[in-house]
Amino acid sequence: MADQGAADPGNNNNNKAEDSEGTIIKVTVKTPKDKEEIAIAEDASVTQFKEEISRRFKAKQDQLVLIFAGKILKDGDSLSQHGIKDGLTVHLVIKTAQKAGEGASAAASSSTSTPAASSSTSSPGTNPSSTAGSTGSAPPSTQTPNLLTGFGDLSSLAGLGMGSSNFMELQQQMQRQLMSNPEMLSQIMENPLVQNMMSNPDLMRQMIMANPQMQTLMERNPEISHMLNNPELMRQTMELARNPAMMQEMMRNQDRALSNLESIPGGYNALRRMYTDIQEPMFSAAREQFGSNPFSALGGGSDSGVQPSRTENREPLPNPWSPPNSSNPPESGGGTTGSTSTTGGTTPSVSNPLGINPGSLGNGMFNSPGMQSLLQQISENPQLMQNMLSAPYMRSMMQSLSQNPELASQVLMNNPLFAGNPQLQEQFRSQLPVFLQQMQNPEALSVMTNPRAMQALMQIQQGLQTLQTEAPGLMPSLMPGGMPGMPGGMPGMPGGMPGGMPGGMPGMPGGMPGGMPGGIPGIPTGGAMPTENPASSPSSAATNPAQQQLMQQMLQMFAGGGGGGVGGGGGGGTATTQTPEMRFQSQLDQLNAMGFINREANLQALIATGGDINAAIERLLGSQPS
Amino acid sequence: MDQTDSFPVKLYVYDLSRGMARQLSAVMLGKHLDGIWHTAVVVHGKEYFFVGEGINSCLPGGTPLGEPDSVVDLGITEVPAEIFMEYLTSLAESTYSSNKYNLFEHNCNTFSNEVAQFLTGKKIPSYITDLPSEVLSTPFGQALRPLLDSININPGGSNITGQR
Repeated sequence: MADQGAADPGNNNNNKAEDSEGTIIKVTVKTPKDKEEIAIAEDASVTQFKEEISRRFKAKQDQLVLIFAGKILKDGDSLSQHGIKDGLTVHLVIKTAQKAGEGASAAASSSTSTPAASSSTSSPGTNPSSTAGSTGSAPPSTQTPNLLTGFGDLSSLAGLGMGSSNFMELQQQMQRQLMSNPEMLSQIMENPLVQNMMSNPDLMRQMIMANPQMQTLMERNPEISHMLNNPELMRQTMELARNPAMMQEMMRNQDRALSNLESIPGGYNALRRMYTDIQEPMFSAAREQFGSNPFSALGGGSDSGVQPSRTENREPLPNPWSPPNSSNPPESGGGTTGSTSTTGGTTPSVSNPLGINPGSLGNGMFNSPGMQSLLQQISENPQLMQNMLSAPYMRSMMQSLSQNPELASQVLMNNPLFAGNPQLQEQFRSQLPVFLQQMQNPEALSVMTNPRAMQALMQIQQGLQTLQTEAPGLMPSLMPGGMPGMPGGMPGMPGGMPGGMPGGMPGMPGGMPGGMPGGIPGIPTGGAMPTENPASSPSSAATNPAQQQLMQQMLQMFAGGGGGGVGGGGGGGTATTQTPEMRFQSQLDQLNAMGFINREANLQALIATGGDINAAIERLLGSQPS
Repeated sequence: MDQTDSFPVKLYVYDLSRGMARQLSAVMLGKHLDGIWHTAVVVHGKEYFFVGEGINSCLPGGTPLGEPDSVVDLGITEVPAEIFMEYLTSLAESTYSSNKYNLFEHNCNTFSNEVAQFLTGKKIPSYITDLPSEVLSTPFGQALRPLLDSININPGGSNITGQR
């Protein structure tokens, strides 16, 4: 300012750019939302700069925070001091209002904290509650800061990463954590501090009523305010809130009562009305704000948004043993509008969703031990399949692939597994659209998630295996051909595809849950195989070639499966036209070395077990005494 | 009246492919990549990153990705936590809201870069920001592009700034 006065006494301070003696530089000022170029004198001070900025950005000077190269530009500094030159960028943050300070001390320190960023950060609901919390008239003042510090401490214990400078963020985080983790809620409930607070119905009521949504709700349904105002009821509720077991018991009673209601003529409608009018808005209001409605979080810890906790929580703890078409039990509680039972998708037709022609199930691929163990894994853990298939990226991946066969084929071609075998590529390319179609088919997916279906498939395959060992005479009559190459290659291919893709795609592997790469190679193959058959068999239906194909596939299966890439997308084992002897050469040698000198028996055993030495040994040992 | 503190700023770098990229990238893409990088900025005791859901934060190393594969020191910043949160909130409303996430062009590394520049004036190492263009320059990457565009990365954390 000094040089200003000296240089141009007649000019008042408003005219920054011209009256200094330095050159004008253009500095870009960047906010998170936009940026502007400001012309300013090279040797101007930060204050002058801020004046200019405040005009351009229509903000008050003391709201402006300028940052350059990690340093905050203070009013007393000059631009050149910081090295701000022509063409450089200075960052600007416009403070929106007075903030109350960091962390839990927020509410304690200032009761007038209007976290003005509320419009951007959180629902308006939390705002008044924070003020209510800090300025609540009825509760003793010691409680309110304690409330927050209580939560703050708990939260940091729970490793929630608290310590945010914004109280509302804190609340939101709390709430989100709670919603996703009911156990934590009960932990919190056990905290004596919380219990203290809860046992004070006045405070609770304050908090609940402070939520504006709650308020509108109450206006519309005076019964609610009634309920809130009844201290006896409140106390009971708090008791309940503290004791989740009791809570659930009560819920169950309520459900039963409600279901009785349902049987009364007109009762169902009444229930439904009750739900939609009261419960829904209440719960959605409650969800916005922790603590205003202990019911919602505690009543079963349901995580599906609008799931009324009055009804039985039909969000199934997935029951792998129930038939996938789990119809809701007839004695459901009221308000079925909200509940969505989502067990693994649609009701698969008991007959054959994949159109598997049992006659043509020569899925050699299934025989390989890797595949078997995978299938076993799947049937034991349907959740795994379900999770994987329902992962959004999986869906979108499948979708894009099916929509764009070109893309898919490209992907496949690049897969090293395929690289050496153009035959396979051809075959797979032709089958691709169908394959992808099938993958999309929700019924196909649901079969894959249905453990019993998987088990059945395994059984069929095992049966075929037995057949093959018992009646090897079938073999000579079969001709290896183009087809066998395909089913053999299939396991490798789709296995390789998702297995390979993660390697190459930025970010994709991050999206995949841990054990996936093991699971994925198997699954699409599992899905693919059954789908291949209907694909191929209809095309050559009821003709000799069909039969031949069948035979070929059975041969495939005899040969112990393609051997390629199952369970890991590894090496390109696509040579399925070798005799079993050649293929099991190394295993035979090992068996020999171990002392099993009966070459025929070894071979049989190896064929039966698909090359699995350990299983073969067991077989051999098992058959010896006899 | 020098009351500015300085806070260290670090860049946590994670390899999303867990080493697979180093092994397989040459095979699949025809080009060698050392890793598929995901980054986050650690400052004021928290780790900040941009994912499909928006700007997220957690304790440093607190995502399911675990400990970072490497840590780059970006220097120090004078920006206090308060201002930083304001800044993030503004970003979350504008250019880094959840619907703006794009795996190739506007991803976690874009965010880290911008935040790093805001805090320290420095950019993050170029091998990270060049990754998408490296991938896109291969035929494989081009082929996969429509697929990848639909993927959002969500490696964990549940503290979304400015959302909901």
